[in-house]
Amino acid sequence: MKLYNNLKLASVLAIGVALTSCGAGGEDQGLEYAPNMYHSVPYEPLSQIVDETAGEAAEFLDPNTDDKHGEYYNSNPYNPSRMTMRVPPANSVPRKNAGYILPYRIPKDSLDYAARTLQNPLTEDKEALLAEGNVLYSRYCNHCHGPNGEGDGPVAGTEDKVVFAGIANLQGAAYQNITEGHIFHVISQGKGLMGAHGSQVSQEDRWKIAMYVKKLQNQ
Amino acid sequence: MNMTQKRSLARVLLAFTLLGFLLINNQSFGQEQAAEAETEAAASSSGPIPTEPARITEGESLFNGNCKTCHKVHQKLVGPALANVYDRAPSIDWIVSFIQNSSKVIASGDTYAVNLYEEYNKTQMTAFPTFSRDQILSIMAYIKAETEAGPGGDDPKGDETNVTQTAGDSVPAAYLNAIMVGLIIVLVLILVVLVLITTILRKYLNQREDLDEDDEAIVNPTLDFDKLVKSKPVIFLVAFLFTAIAFKVVVNQLYAVGVQKGYAPKQPIAFSHKLHAGEYQIDCQYCHTGVRKSKSANIPSPNICMNCHSAVKTESPEIQKIYAAIENDRPIEWIRVHNLPDLAYFNHSQHVKVGEIECQTCHGAIEEMEVVQQHSLLTMGWCIDCHRKTDVNAKGNDYYTNLVELHEQESKGAMKVEDIGGLECSKCHY
Repeated sequence: MKLYNNLKLASVLAIGVALTSCGAGGEDQGLEYAPNMYHSVPYEPLSQIVDETAGEAAEFLDPNTDDKHGEYYNSNPYNPSRMTMRVPPANSVPRKNAGYILPYRIPKDSLDYAARTLQNPLTEDKEALLAEGNVLYSRYCNHCHGPNGEGDGPVAGTEDKVVFAGIANLQGAAYQNITEGHIFHVISQGKGLMGAHGSQVSQEDRWKIAMYVKKLQNQ
Repeated sequence: MNMTQKRSLARVLLAFTLLGFLLINNQSFGQEQAAEAETEAAASSSGPIPTEPARITEGESLFNGNCKTCHKVHQKLVGPALANVYDRAPSIDWIVSFIQNSSKVIASGDTYAVNLYEEYNKTQMTAFPTFSRDQILSIMAYIKAETEAGPGGDDPKGDETNVTQTAGDSVPAAYLNAIMVGLIIVLVLILVVLVLITTILRKYLNQREDLDEDDEAIVNPTLDFDKLVKSKPVIFLVAFLFTAIAFKVVVNQLYAVGVQKGYAPKQPIAFSHKLHAGEYQIDCQYCHTGVRKSKSANIPSPNICMNCHSAVKTESPEIQKIYAAIENDRPIEWIRVHNLPDLAYFNHSQHVKVGEIECQTCHGAIEEMEVVQQHSLLTMGWCIDCHRKTDVNAKGNDYYTNLVELHEQESKGAMKVEDIGGLECSKCHY
């Protein structure tokens, strides 16, 4: 009887201990329920299972495959570095409702040419465009150039502890007379220490930011 | 008598103050003369740099507005330290033309300019064509004033403020700790003394012979511990508590199966969201560019890191990993934190662009996380709960006009996500 009681107690404790390892935390993803519904069979853009033995236990679900790896393995060893997201073929162009969007091709060192020739294609409803420009400016520019473009965003650091030196003060004398085309070109290709932001900001958005910067300067 | 004494005293005082004034004036006059002599000497070597205070303040505001992001007077920043630049550079005319258009001077093959350009990794100085010669001279005047003030001019002030700040912050905390420790020591001492007193008293009382039985029981209490433990209420209470806790643990753990809340894998590069999104306030969407356009928010590619890290913290071993990835053309294998099961569909753009939901609503206070961890449950119940509670962001979105009209015919409350099919199985499972 005593042995029986002790066994009961021990089994309850054992179940408790076993269950404490179910939850996730730190490096541990925890226990999964029905993992064959959790893991993607097609390639995933931002994650992949490279362990070829993953999901071997679930192989019986589809006994006819002879792919020689577990059910959950979804990596592609034939792509460079196993990447499932690939760079589009050279010279291909994205399509949109309005047609094709040709990439911006004026090279980085042709700032003067761009500043002279580029014209802002956005002209309708300037107020709305400027409001959008404000949102975009605070998203992409604020942390370096500061809310008023004075080069005093948090990334610039403080007088005592400079973090990123050389952020342009857009209110400074050197930038007062620049054109919207100049700003568009600098956002697209970068200038000096500023990196090219063409991959992050769409062309339309770049024009909106350029408009907003001119508005900031004229305030 | 008294009055005359006071008067004579006042006279003596007056005489002293006058004398003092004269002396001070003489001294300052002497200083002015010396300064003039110095400026004359300087002018002969480095050109006509103005010394009037008005020009210096004008120069200061110009310097702060246009130069200070790249130049300091006593320290090398993006460009050279500017102390003594008026003596170093070939001539004042050269400085003027370099500031107005540096690339032209470099292109003309001027050796000093070309050497400078090479020394600073071919970083081109921004052209300031609108600056007049007078304005540039004012800036020189400011630089000269700062050069003469010496590099220590600003620093002690900064140090002082720092010291006072830290003192203001830390001293009360230190005091508090000391007080707490003192209190604890005092309490422990009191406890020791009390225990000592009781033992001594007990010993004394036990030595006495004239105690009756009741008093004896009080002096030497006999508590039957074994009996107490085996009493029914205690056994019941212990058994009940044990079962209840065990039951709760089991149920909780069963619910945690398949839930990855708290998952915080170590990433290949120790990127801190606390630093970037918190301290530097970089918008989430600056790096996660896909969030308004696609299903995934996207992990930024190294070119976005390089927008800053081409210049910031280039020596850090963690940053060197980015350079290595770019150099070897290999991806950085970040580990996905939020693994929504494949059986459910989720789209970021729908929630962020149309719904205008803050990132933090689902991801928690990312801007405070050194290592990102999953904040929400990401269970179906969690999704459904939000779809029941959240109003559709229909304002200014023509897509919803008809839906809002239909909804208002039937009910008076705001249109929730569940009212437009947010709970349909096939919305997320197909």
